Amino acid sequence: MRIAIAEDSMLVREGLTRILREADNDVVAAFDNADDLLREVQRTPPDLVIVDIRLPPTHADEGIRAAIHIRQHHPEVAVLVLSQYVELGLAMQLLSDSAEGVGYLLKDRIGDITEFTSAVQRVAAGGSAIDPKIISALLQRRRSDNPLTHLTPRERDVLKLMATGTSNQGIADRLVISTRAVEKYVSSIFDKLGIPSTRNESRRVIAVLLYLRT
Amino acid sequence: MSRPDAASDLPRSQIDLLSSRRPSARTLWLTGAAGVLVVTVFSIVGATSERLPHPAVGVIIVCWVTVPYLASGLIAWWRRPASRLGLLMLAAGFATPLALLPVANNKVLVSIGQLFEVLPAAMYLHVFLAYPTGRLRRWPERLVVVSCYVAALGLTAVKIALGSSPSNIFTVSVHPVAALRLGQVQFALISALLLCGAALLYLRRRAAGRSPRRFSALLVDAFGLALVTLAALSIGGIRAWSGIGIVQGVTSVTLGLAPVAFLVALLDLRLARTDVGGLLIELDRDPTLDLQAPLARALHDPSLQLAYWLPDHDTWIDQAGGRVTLPGPDQRRSIQMIYRDHEPVAALLYDPALDDEHELLNAVSAAAGIALENGRLRAELRAKLQQLQSSRVRVLEAGRRERQRLERDLHDGAQQRLVGIVIQLGLLENQTTTDAQTKRRLTKTRQEVSESLDQLRDIARGIYPAVLSGHGLAIALESLTASAAVPVSLRVGLTERLPEPVEVAAYYVVSEALTNIAKHAHASSATVDLERDTENLIVEITDDGIGGANTVGGSGLRGLSDRLDVLGGKLHIANPAHGGAKLRVEIPCA
Repeated sequence: MRIAIAEDSMLVREGLTRILREADNDVVAAFDNADDLLREVQRTPPDLVIVDIRLPPTHADEGIRAAIHIRQHHPEVAVLVLSQYVELGLAMQLLSDSAEGVGYLLKDRIGDITEFTSAVQRVAAGGSAIDPKIISALLQRRRSDNPLTHLTPRERDVLKLMATGTSNQGIADRLVISTRAVEKYVSSIFDKLGIPSTRNESRRVIAVLLYLRT
Repeated sequence: MSRPDAASDLPRSQIDLLSSRRPSARTLWLTGAAGVLVVTVFSIVGATSERLPHPAVGVIIVCWVTVPYLASGLIAWWRRPASRLGLLMLAAGFATPLALLPVANNKVLVSIGQLFEVLPAAMYLHVFLAYPTGRLRRWPERLVVVSCYVAALGLTAVKIALGSSPSNIFTVSVHPVAALRLGQVQFALISALLLCGAALLYLRRRAAGRSPRRFSALLVDAFGLALVTLAALSIGGIRAWSGIGIVQGVTSVTLGLAPVAFLVALLDLRLARTDVGGLLIELDRDPTLDLQAPLARALHDPSLQLAYWLPDHDTWIDQAGGRVTLPGPDQRRSIQMIYRDHEPVAALLYDPALDDEHELLNAVSAAAGIALENGRLRAELRAKLQQLQSSRVRVLEAGRRERQRLERDLHDGAQQRLVGIVIQLGLLENQTTTDAQTKRRLTKTRQEVSESLDQLRDIARGIYPAVLSGHGLAIALESLTASAAVPVSLRVGLTERLPEPVEVAAYYVVSEALTNIAKHAHASSATVDLERDTENLIVEITDDGIGGANTVGGSGLRGLSDRLDVLGGKLHIANPAHGGAKLRVEIPCA
């Protein structure tokens, strides 16, 4: 897989490159700013870009703007955004069109190499990867008449993984259950929460996020 | 900065209101009697004249001019002793009947009369130019008037000595041609000087201001035309001209009406002065009154500005406490300095049209007196408040920038390094395929570092909401409300970014309010609403809890209200009877 990186911390950039190469990826370019990345994508679009949200010169929104630009103008390029903070607002902005081929993770998730490389694979393959921290913050809220309380603990686990973009196979592997069991849980969750059911794994990410946000 | 010394060469006058003494009743009666006597004597001289074709007409014309001058002069002297115009008009009144002497039957009287024949014209010019103070303040006016006196008295004496009227007892030797030429030169010169006078009057009115302040002043100016007709008469004296009779008539009528106009105008000044009484009443009613507006009313000058001198700061300020610079003497504002114990207290900046009415200015300044001193103290206080306010704003802004820098340092420094360590640990972990125990330890260590990183992030986020600078209120509040304890419906009706201090304040308002709701409100849901009107960002946070929100006690709302205060914002809390609470905040964002 051909990957281009924009990350201004040398330490993180090098570590990231090494991890990706060790997982048999072709890191075609690694920049410390967004403009160079945009030029590279324009010239020879890679399969996936990995972008830090805070990039020079202003360290404001250069990274997220580059990510959104690439998603709009190069839909064939998957985008994984890394950040020191995860913001629901930015996640919703990134997912505004679709959750296909998009990821938004905290930077230190890179350290869990197995998990990270599988998220990279998933995003590159058109799936999604949303940081679990966003989901758990949403799940912690107190609600009067909360349908989430009707979920079984197992169903909650499935919901969390589903919301982060994990595929049915991934959920099955993680929870050591069969994919058939996962499918059963998923349809039960959709029933209990009143979310229109969808078999598309990316579309259900947005549906769940929208549900949890309100 | 303009020091009082710099302004000292400007037209100004000390407060000398009480120095002008009013003439005693006796003096006035005696002067009046003398006037009656003069008019009577000269009327007899005119009426008995054998040289006048129509003696009655001559007497009526002279009386028509003389009586108004004497009467107006007398009243002006009585009612407006500070102005010397009254005395000047009296003098003109006494001089006018001299014009009848040359037609007397007595040779001596004729001779004397011929000496003063042209004097009244010079006196009229003097009166016109000296209105309203009775003084000639500018050198061109003085030059014109003095020249006219010289031409009227000096040249006449020389002309008569040269035998212009051979029967005159003052004739020294007879040179008819020289005397004739001299007479022509004299009349031409006097005409020119009268026209100069008319021009000076016109220029003075133009310089005085965009809006002539009083109708009566206009009236006085209109009589400046008399100078022009007098000039025409004088020219007519050189060349026999058939229209001379009409000009003579017009001139006499105007000259007779002019003193009445002067008197009306002077009394009108008195009417204006009664506003000083109004000012005193206003000051008496409210000693803490801001003086600028009442002074402007008393002086009939809406453009009037009041400036106070702050000796400690070496600067002038307006009554709101803002720093002002006094205009230089070339600009179209006049300045009156007001002193107390030889120290400047205040300065009035006014329309130059008021320059003619220095006594009115003095009266008003004197009336303002002690109130001015109070006003200065108040203005000084306001200036200090302004300084305090701007220093509070600077402190708040410095704090904000410092927090922003700190967060940035944490982000670019410690946080990135910790991420680097997490990655290195991950790589080590991956390479350790044989030793399961080491691998477990590495995993554990990596997770510990990740957790520390998490805590550090929370701290950094508390120091400064970096997402706000990068992505604006809508995104920042989305995350904030998503992590609130109760479901929050958020509506951000903003189309553009606002100044960062405003955004940060709004962010903390929402953050603090949501924390408060989580802690105290027992609410099940909340709403956050942001919108802009022309001047303010309006933030409204409502909840369906038990109410009782307030800014007293240990509430974080207290600190919020201080922060908002610095930005000029307002915080309003409502706890409706049916439950819930509503927090409304307005932050100016101009």
